[in-house]
Amino acid sequence: MNEEFSVVGKKIIREDGFDKVTGQAKFGDDYKFDGMLHSVMLRISEAHAKINSIDFSAIEKSEFLFSIITSADIPGTKKVGMIKNDQLVFCDEKVVTPGDVLAMLVGESESQLRSLLSKIKVDYTPLPVLNDPKKSLDKDSILIHPETGTNLIVHHPLRKGDIEKGFSESDEILEQTYTTQLVEHSYIEPEAVIAIPLGTSQGVKIIGSIQNPFTTRRFVANVLNLPLTKVRVHQAHLGGSFGGKDDTMCILSARAAVAAMKTNRPVKIRYTREESILESYKRHPYILNYKVGYAKNGKIKAMKVDILADGGAYVSMSPFVTWRTVVQATGPYEIENVHTDVRAVYTNNPYTGAMRGFGSPQPIFAQESLMDEIAARLRMTPDEIRRVNGLKVGSVTATGQILKDHEVNLVRVLDVACGNTDFITKWKRNKKKKSIAVELNSLSPILNDSQFIKQNDLIKKGIGLAVSFRGCSLGAEGTDAAAAYISIQNDGSVYLDCGLAENGQGLRTTYSIIASEVLGITTDKIIYLELDTGITPDSGPTVASRSTLMGGGAVKNAAEILLERLEKFVKAEFKLGEDDFVSFRENLVFSRRKGLIAKFPEVCKLAYSRGVSLASIGWYKSPNVYWDEEFGQGDAYFTYVYGCQVAEVSVNIATGEVYIDKITAVHDPGKVINRLGAEGQVYGGVTQGAGYGIFEEITTDKGFIRELNFDTYTIPTSKDIDEIKPIFIEGKDSYGPWGAKSLGEPTLELTAAAISNAVCNALGKRFFNLPLNLEEVLLSKKLRPADIKRGSLL
Amino acid sequence: MMPPLGILFPKDLNEALNALALNQENVHIIAGGTDVIPGLNQESNRFKNTRLLIDINKMPEVKGINVGTEKISIGAAETFSDILQNEVVQKKLPLLWKSAGTIGSVQIRNRATLAGNFVNNAPCADSVPVLLVYNATVEIESLSSKREIFLNDFLSAPYKTKLNKDEIVTRINIPIPSKKFTGDFYKLGRRRAVAISRITLAMLISLNDNMIDEIRIASGAVTPIGTRFFDLEKFAKGKKIEDQFLKELSKMLGEQIIQVTGLRWSSEYKLPVVQQMFYQLLKGIERGSL
Amino acid sequence: MEVRFKLNGKEEEVTTEPYLRLIDLLRDYFNLTGTKEGCGVGECGACTVLMNGRAVNSCLVLAAQANDSEIVTIEGIAEGEVLSSLQKNFLTYGAVQCGFCTPGMVLSASALLDQNPNPTEEEIKDAIAGNLCRCTGYKQIIEAVKETAKETIE
Repeated sequence: MNEEFSVVGKKIIREDGFDKVTGQAKFGDDYKFDGMLHSVMLRISEAHAKINSIDFSAIEKSEFLFSIITSADIPGTKKVGMIKNDQLVFCDEKVVTPGDVLAMLVGESESQLRSLLSKIKVDYTPLPVLNDPKKSLDKDSILIHPETGTNLIVHHPLRKGDIEKGFSESDEILEQTYTTQLVEHSYIEPEAVIAIPLGTSQGVKIIGSIQNPFTTRRFVANVLNLPLTKVRVHQAHLGGSFGGKDDTMCILSARAAVAAMKTNRPVKIRYTREESILESYKRHPYILNYKVGYAKNGKIKAMKVDILADGGAYVSMSPFVTWRTVVQATGPYEIENVHTDVRAVYTNNPYTGAMRGFGSPQPIFAQESLMDEIAARLRMTPDEIRRVNGLKVGSVTATGQILKDHEVNLVRVLDVACGNTDFITKWKRNKKKKSIAVELNSLSPILNDSQFIKQNDLIKKGIGLAVSFRGCSLGAEGTDAAAAYISIQNDGSVYLDCGLAENGQGLRTTYSIIASEVLGITTDKIIYLELDTGITPDSGPTVASRSTLMGGGAVKNAAEILLERLEKFVKAEFKLGEDDFVSFRENLVFSRRKGLIAKFPEVCKLAYSRGVSLASIGWYKSPNVYWDEEFGQGDAYFTYVYGCQVAEVSVNIATGEVYIDKITAVHDPGKVINRLGAEGQVYGGVTQGAGYGIFEEITTDKGFIRELNFDTYTIPTSKDIDEIKPIFIEGKDSYGPWGAKSLGEPTLELTAAAISNAVCNALGKRFFNLPLNLEEVLLSKKLRPADIKRGSLL
Repeated sequence: MMPPLGILFPKDLNEALNALALNQENVHIIAGGTDVIPGLNQESNRFKNTRLLIDINKMPEVKGINVGTEKISIGAAETFSDILQNEVVQKKLPLLWKSAGTIGSVQIRNRATLAGNFVNNAPCADSVPVLLVYNATVEIESLSSKREIFLNDFLSAPYKTKLNKDEIVTRINIPIPSKKFTGDFYKLGRRRAVAISRITLAMLISLNDNMIDEIRIASGAVTPIGTRFFDLEKFAKGKKIEDQFLKELSKMLGEQIIQVTGLRWSSEYKLPVVQQMFYQLLKGIERGSL
Repeated sequence: MEVRFKLNGKEEEVTTEPYLRLIDLLRDYFNLTGTKEGCGVGECGACTVLMNGRAVNSCLVLAAQANDSEIVTIEGIAEGEVLSSLQKNFLTYGAVQCGFCTPGMVLSASALLDQNPNPTEEEIKDAIAGNLCRCTGYKQIIEAVKETAKETIE
C-alpha cells in the first residue's frame, strides 16, 4: 500500500452503509406520495402480431379504474430508444416481442386494476414469428420493423492486413463455432418508478430505480415534448443494475410520466419479478465462428471472425455492445492479419442490450477456448501460447492501435496468476490423469456395464485460465466527459455530487475518498448529495466501468480547484512566504515553515468571510479517440486494463455437476481507490461470471421466456462458489485519478471462459456452448421441454 | 396479487373439520403456506377457486413429533426445521433428516411442513421418496371417519392425492426401521442450495451376510410422482451385493423408470444419471451409508 | 380481521384483510420499508423477517398467520443510532453494495447467530443460502458474520 495516501486505497466504510444496514435507505418502491395512483400493464400472449383494435368498453365504467393510458396520450415522440427510436412506449400498432405493453391502466389499487385486464378485448392478427437469428437476414424472413427495410441492426467490419496471406503462411488452420446464451441481469430489486406532476411551469419529477438519470430525462422529455429542464430525475437507491436498468427504466419512467401528466396525480409503476424478466432486456446470445491460422511455434498468423448477435426485437444498445465486440474479438493478442465481421439482427425474441461485460464475455469464451485448443494441438501449455501472442508495449491491436502511454500488463497478470495458483503443475497433473468421460449413447438410455463409474473416479479436478484486455470507458462510442460539484461550507463540512449515478457498486464512496484525499479532510466531513438532474451537470451514463476513471477524474479536478484557492488564500491570510508550502491533512492545515497553522473549519470560515468562492464544478474529459467505420481501424480506447483469471473446478462425471473450488482473479485496475469496493467488485463480478459459465440461462419457446422467476432462473447462492481470491496489480496510468482505471466489468468477462477451460482440463473434452450446465457437460448439448408450461402453475 | 379470500384458525381438529364440511368446494388447508401463498399470489390455476384457507397451526392434534418404540408420529403442522432439530429423528430416521436439510432454504424450512410436501404432491417433492421407503402412513380424518393409509396409496397423480374434500391429514406415521437397515438419500439439483430437484433417490437396505434381506427403493423427479419400485425390490431380495448385480439392478431401475415415465425431453440426461447415482448409492452400502 | 402481534418489541393491533401478506402489512401499513420484495415466491429472501426468532420469508406468510407472534424486521435490529455488532461488521467488511438484499441478509445471519453463536463457514453459507445477492458474491458477507461470531465468543 502506498504510504503517501491517507485515505486512497484504504478500507473505507460506505457512505450509504448505515442507511442500508438499518433498512432506512429508500429504494424506488419505498416512496409513497399523497394521491398516488398505481398502474398495471396490458399485454397479449403473442410474440408478433398486428393490433387491429383495443376495446376498453367493458372496463371504462369500472370504479377501480382512474384512467386508461394509451399511445394517444403521448404528446411527444411515441417511439424511443437508446440509439435508434424503434421502441413504442405503448405498442398499439404492433407487438414484436412478448414483453411489449399495449396500454396501461391506472387506479388506486394494483390488484383491482389487474382484475380488469382480462376484460379488455384486443383484436389482433398474429404475424409469422422470427426466433432464429440465423434466419433474420434471409430474403424471405419477415421484417420485424418493416420501415427499416432490413432485420440487420448493425454490421461492424474490421480489416487488418491480408487475411488470405495470413492463412497461407500458417502451418495449421483451426475452425470452430461457439454459442453463448441469453442471460438476465438479475438485480434483486425489480423495477419501480414514480412520476410526480409539478404543474405547467415545472413539468414532472421522476423518482425511481434508475441507472442513468440523464438518459431517463432525455426519454421522458422527448415523450412529453418538454424541454430537458422540465423533467427532473431523482435517483432512488438502486437495488442493483449491472447495465440492466437503463432502457427499461427510461420507458417505464416515460409511461409513468405520461400517466402523471394526464391524471395530474403521482403515478407509480412497480414490477413483479415475472414482469421484470418478461419485459427487461438481457445479455445478447452470440453465435461465433472463428477461423485461425498459426505457425508451429504458436504464433497466430491470421484470424477470421464472424459473429452474429441476437438483438431481439429492438436496437437498444446493440450497436455499441457489438462495437466493443469487434474491437476485442481477437483477444489480447497481436495478430497481423485480422478479418472480423460482427452483426446484430432483429428477431421476435426478448430484446438485448447492455449488461456488465457489454459484448466481451461472449468473444472471450470463444477466443480463450480457441487459444487452449491451439496450445493442446501444439503441445504447449495454456500460458505459453498466450505469452507467444500476448500484447506487449508497442504491440499493434486488431484495430491498428499501437499500445503505448500505459502499462501493458498482460503478461504480468498472467505470470502472477500462474505463479499464485501453481497453474502449470496442476494443469499437467490433471491432464495426465486419464479421464473417464462417459460417452453416452442417446439411442439406448440404459447404461452398459463398462459405463458405471467407480466411486473414486467420480470427481475430476480441473484448472483453466483466461486472459483479456479491455478498453476503458466509452471509447469511440461517443462523448466521454464527466462533471462533479463540490461545495465547502463555512464550518468545513463538504457537499459532494457527481453527474454519474451510484449503481450500488459504491462510486459515491470512491468519490468521497478522492475528495477527502485532495482536500486533506476525513470522509465523514463529506455529505454526498442525491443525484438530481436539475442540479448536477450531465456526465453521461454509469456504464463501461468508467465511473472511477471519469467521474473520479472530475471529482479530483473539482477538489483541486478548491484546494488551489484555499492554498492561495491561506498563504495570503497567514502571511506565508511565497516559497512556503501549504498542506492539508486530516482536517488540519500546515505550513512547511510554521507547522500547524489552523484547523480546516477555521480556514473555511475565514475564507468564506473574505468572500472566497468555496464551490466548484470539476470537469474531466477523455482524450480523443478515433474510429474508421469502413475498416474497423483506429485508436478505439485511450487506455486499457488487463486481467487473468484461473478457475479450479471439481467435475462430477456421473452427473455433469461443476463445482467451483476457487477462482483467482488478477486484475490491473491502475490505482485502487476504494479497497473494500474493489474487492467487492471482484467477488461479485466473478460470481456473476461463474453463474454465466455454469447454469444461468433464459430459454425461450417462440419468444416466450420459460424462466420468469428465481425458482427456475438460478443465480449463484452463497454455496455455489467456494473461494475467490482477488489480486490487484496496481500501477500508474496517465489518465484517471492517480491512474485509477476500470474494474467492474473485467472481473466478470473472464470467468466463464476460465471455467470452461478448467472443465476441459478435467474431462479432456472441450465445450463450445455456454452454459456448462448438467446436460452440456454430460451430453454436449442442451435439452429443452417442448413448451413453456409448468406443472406447478397449471 | 393475492385474491380476496377468508382464513380460519380453528383451535382444534373438530372445529376445522366442521368448517371443512361447510366449505368443501373452495377451501384449502394450509400450515406453512409456502406453496399455497405464492401460488395464490401468482394466480396459479391450481388455486383459482380458493375462497377460504384453513390454517391448522393452532390445532393440538397436528402438532408434535411423538416418538414411540415402533414408530415416530409427526404432526401435519411440523416444519422441516422442527424435524431437523429433532435428535431422535436424526438418529432413527436419518434419511428423512437428510432430505429435510435439502429442502429449500432456512426460511422455507422454517415454515414448510413435511405433510405439505406430500399433500401438495409435486413430482419433485424431496421428502416423498424417503417417506415411501420408510413405509410411512398417513392419518386422515373427516367428521365421519378416520383412516390411516400408506403414503404410497395416498399419492395418486402429480399434484393430486386421495384426500377427500372433507378430510384433513393430521399426522404422518413412520415405522422406525430395525437396526439392520442402512440406506441413503440422494438429491441432484442445478445448483448446490435452494434447488428444485432434478433427481431424488431413497434407498433402505438390510443385508444378511452380503445377501439382500430386504431393499426398498424410491425415486422422485424422474417419475411423474414419487414412486416405489416393488418389482425391483422383490427381484433383489436374496441376491448377493456383488458389483455385477448392483449394475444390473441400476439398469433395471432405469428400465422401470422408462416404463413408468416414458421417454421425455429430459430422459436423455436423467436416465443415465439416475442409473449412475443409484449405483453409487448401492456402492455406498459397502461404506456404511448413513 | 384483527391481528395482534409484537413488532420490533412493541405490541401492535391492526385490522387487516385476511388475505394480506405479512410483507404488505409491514411495508404498507407500518411503513417498515426495510423489508423488500424481490421475487414474491420465497426464492430471494429480500423479504426475510424474524418470526418468533426464526427467519421466514414475509412474502410467504399471511399477516393473519402472524397473530400472537413476535416479528422483528430490519428496523428492529439497531438500537436507535447504535448498530448491532453484525450490522457494524457488514460495514467494516464491505458486505453491502446495492443494499437491497442487506436487510434480509442481516436478519438471516442474526437468526443464525442467535441459535448458533459459533457457526462454521458451511453453517453460515447454509443460513444465508436463501438470501440471493447479485452484487457481493457473498464473500464479504460471510466474513462479516464470521467476525461477529468471533467477537461474541471472545
